[in-house]
Amino acid sequence: MAREFQRGHKARISDLTAGRDLYVGVQIAGPGLTFDISCFGLDANERLSDDRYFIFFNQPKSPEEAIQQLGPQAGDTDSFRVTLDSVPSAIQKLSFTATIDGAGQMSQVGPGYLRIVAGGEEVARYSFTGSEFSTERAVMLGDFYLKDVWRFAAVGQGFDGGLDALLKNFGGEVAEEEPAPAPAQGATPGFAPPGQAAPAPGFAPPAGAPAPAAPPAPAPPAPQPAPAFGAPQGPPQGTPPQGTPPPGTPQGSPPQGVQPPAPGTPQMHGAPTIAAPIAPPGQVPPPGQVPPPGQVPPPGQVPPPPPPGQFPGRQPPFGQQPGQAPPAPAPYGQPPVQPYPGQPGQPGQPAPYGQPQPMGGVPQGGGAPGLQAALAKYREAPTGQRWTPQNPRLMRVDLGVGGQPVLARQGTMVLYQGKVDFSYKGAGFRGRIVGNATGQEMQLMRCTGQGQVFLAENAAELHPIELQGDAICVSAENVLAFDESLHHEVRRIEGHGIPGGALFTMQFQGTGTVVVKTEGTPVVLPVTPTTFADSNAIVAWSAGAQVIISSQVRLRRSAYPGHSGETVNLQFRGAPGNFIVVQPYEV
Amino acid sequence: MDQQMISGFAPAPVAARMENHGASMLKVAMQSGQDLFARTGSMVAYEGFVQYEPNPPAVRQMASQWLTGEGAPLMRCSGDGLLYLADYGANVVCINLNGDALSVNGTNLLAFDAHLQWGVERVKGIAKFAGQGLFNVGVSGTGWVALTSRGTPIVVDCGRGEDETYVDPDALVAWSSGLKVKGKRSFKASSLIGRGSGEAYQLGFSGQGFVVVQPSEDSTDRLRARG
Repeated sequence: MAREFQRGHKARISDLTAGRDLYVGVQIAGPGLTFDISCFGLDANERLSDDRYFIFFNQPKSPEEAIQQLGPQAGDTDSFRVTLDSVPSAIQKLSFTATIDGAGQMSQVGPGYLRIVAGGEEVARYSFTGSEFSTERAVMLGDFYLKDVWRFAAVGQGFDGGLDALLKNFGGEVAEEEPAPAPAQGATPGFAPPGQAAPAPGFAPPAGAPAPAAPPAPAPPAPQPAPAFGAPQGPPQGTPPQGTPPPGTPQGSPPQGVQPPAPGTPQMHGAPTIAAPIAPPGQVPPPGQVPPPGQVPPPGQVPPPPPPGQFPGRQPPFGQQPGQAPPAPAPYGQPPVQPYPGQPGQPGQPAPYGQPQPMGGVPQGGGAPGLQAALAKYREAPTGQRWTPQNPRLMRVDLGVGGQPVLARQGTMVLYQGKVDFSYKGAGFRGRIVGNATGQEMQLMRCTGQGQVFLAENAAELHPIELQGDAICVSAENVLAFDESLHHEVRRIEGHGIPGGALFTMQFQGTGTVVVKTEGTPVVLPVTPTTFADSNAIVAWSAGAQVIISSQVRLRRSAYPGHSGETVNLQFRGAPGNFIVVQPYEV
Repeated sequence: MDQQMISGFAPAPVAARMENHGASMLKVAMQSGQDLFARTGSMVAYEGFVQYEPNPPAVRQMASQWLTGEGAPLMRCSGDGLLYLADYGANVVCINLNGDALSVNGTNLLAFDAHLQWGVERVKGIAKFAGQGLFNVGVSGTGWVALTSRGTPIVVDCGRGEDETYVDPDALVAWSSGLKVKGKRSFKASSLIGRGSGEAYQLGFSGQGFVVVQPSEDSTDRLRARG
């Protein structure tokens, strides 16, 4: 179940999931607004010292592919894949941000979220709405940060100045010539022709680092910075007809060549702001889309489109693997993830399994190998407590703490360690409980000795309730175990229509713990003048509440046979502060 | 159709040979040349070209004594694609063995790489019911194994101190090879632990290692019960 985060909440990622390969999805939308979602990989000083870790639509992955932008998918406006284990040690923080592209402010944003998915399961979600913001134009949504271990923090901090302010915050420099590129771009619906890229790559200069002199030192071969917009970038080995890249221009630089960056002013954000209006960032052109007019034949089109499923130059060992994306139309699963030549959205390509998956071949990795690593998250969690929930369905009792025997339902012991003696709980008790042979059996065993006993039953959820002098009534079927020190007595609620003729409850009073089991997640309701519960689904109620049987005879018979059409409800009355517990399962 | 609500359940990118999709579904990235043994009937979906061969000859011989000679409830899966396995909503635990050895209760085994060394073991010292002794599959080597567990399992270290660890056989999922196992029968007429029969058995483990236990005493083999 996803854990909900509020602004400012933090948690260890290991507490959320054992997975180290995370999917981060951001959903943010507002009427008429376009957003750039990016991820900043920051160093220990929270500076963007290496701009290869500014992951945005124009640079959709970091050099070692620890951070990859996947584009819109699965209901998310944009998404990332983060492999924590391969994030280099220089990167101490990953900040996920959203910036408004164009006019607008954050207060116009509708409900959105940032979520973390691991292994197909959403493990964390930080929801926000525009009402938390005002005139901001950028917002830091959440951070992964390394403090001993990787942690996640829901940030939700806005910046008035948009991406500029964000970049400054991260120590980036903002180029002044931002307006210039816009007209140039406006003219050609495609992206800046490669020829224009002459002097320098679009965004290479490291932002935080001292800006290199005029011909920028090629950003250490940002491996195939991935044509964000469908035009498959030439394979590294290919000979792209890309004008003539001047010496010094890294081969991999995107053909975005927005503007020759003024020496000394690294141009960082020019690209995102101008390109987005043309095509939403990270959006894959639908299959078969012809490159827009004016676009220089992208290098990637030089090799003839290979037959589907064949990927020259990078052939996985055993044919490609089914990728993460559903087949053909590949509305998400953005090609830039791994720009194979001819791979993305080839016209008419059936793409049986979507793209080959980024790493090619079946990765045998996925967390540390080994038995211990795989099972680490299920380890016993010893505490000094007497009652310790090991997981929602398993309770550990340490009989050594407190020294009191424990009474448990028979057959609920799944494991014990130490010298523990199990004995039958006396018949006197049983006689009282079984009473009139209604089939309501409640057989208990007494666990005594020194050691730890693990109790569970049928994978039902267990809830320890600690009583401190107060009293609670629990339906006898829902009692799993309790401290013998508690005073307990059996009550019988008779009513026509209750299965078996009566409902047996156990009232506990004193100081100690009762473990209640429920099928499914229960609901706790306050007792109001009109509180009713099904006698089959009721689990427990505070002893101060008074129970009244109320029968309702329905005129219409229920649809299925064997049901009388009569239902018995229990009505509860009590002073404010009383509560009832109901499970989503009618025994 | 508004796919917003369900689109979050799309599979995550493949990152390993076996991965959990949610708590109770296993996703296996299949490749030809890397075959897989899975419980018969556990497949819930697959993408791609995957072929199934129930009760293949290699298995038949290995598992002739699995139960009562019905053959092993295993199928060999081969091909390319993504394979999804599940066992009636039981939690799935996938383990990347790295030269380790594990002994898994037959009903709790979901799938394992075909290149692992495996064999059927009979647990001595315990005969639960006639014809239904506790059978275990010993798996070792380097590769992936997936187990099922009704509810989140727990891993308990044995060998703490002198005491043995006693487990209800119905709740036992797996244990690390190398533990000494012995059956224990509670002779006290009054100690009625365990399920049903009134006979109380536990398995006692001693030595260095761990035991995996599920929070349920439901050991019925649902895949088999379906017939």
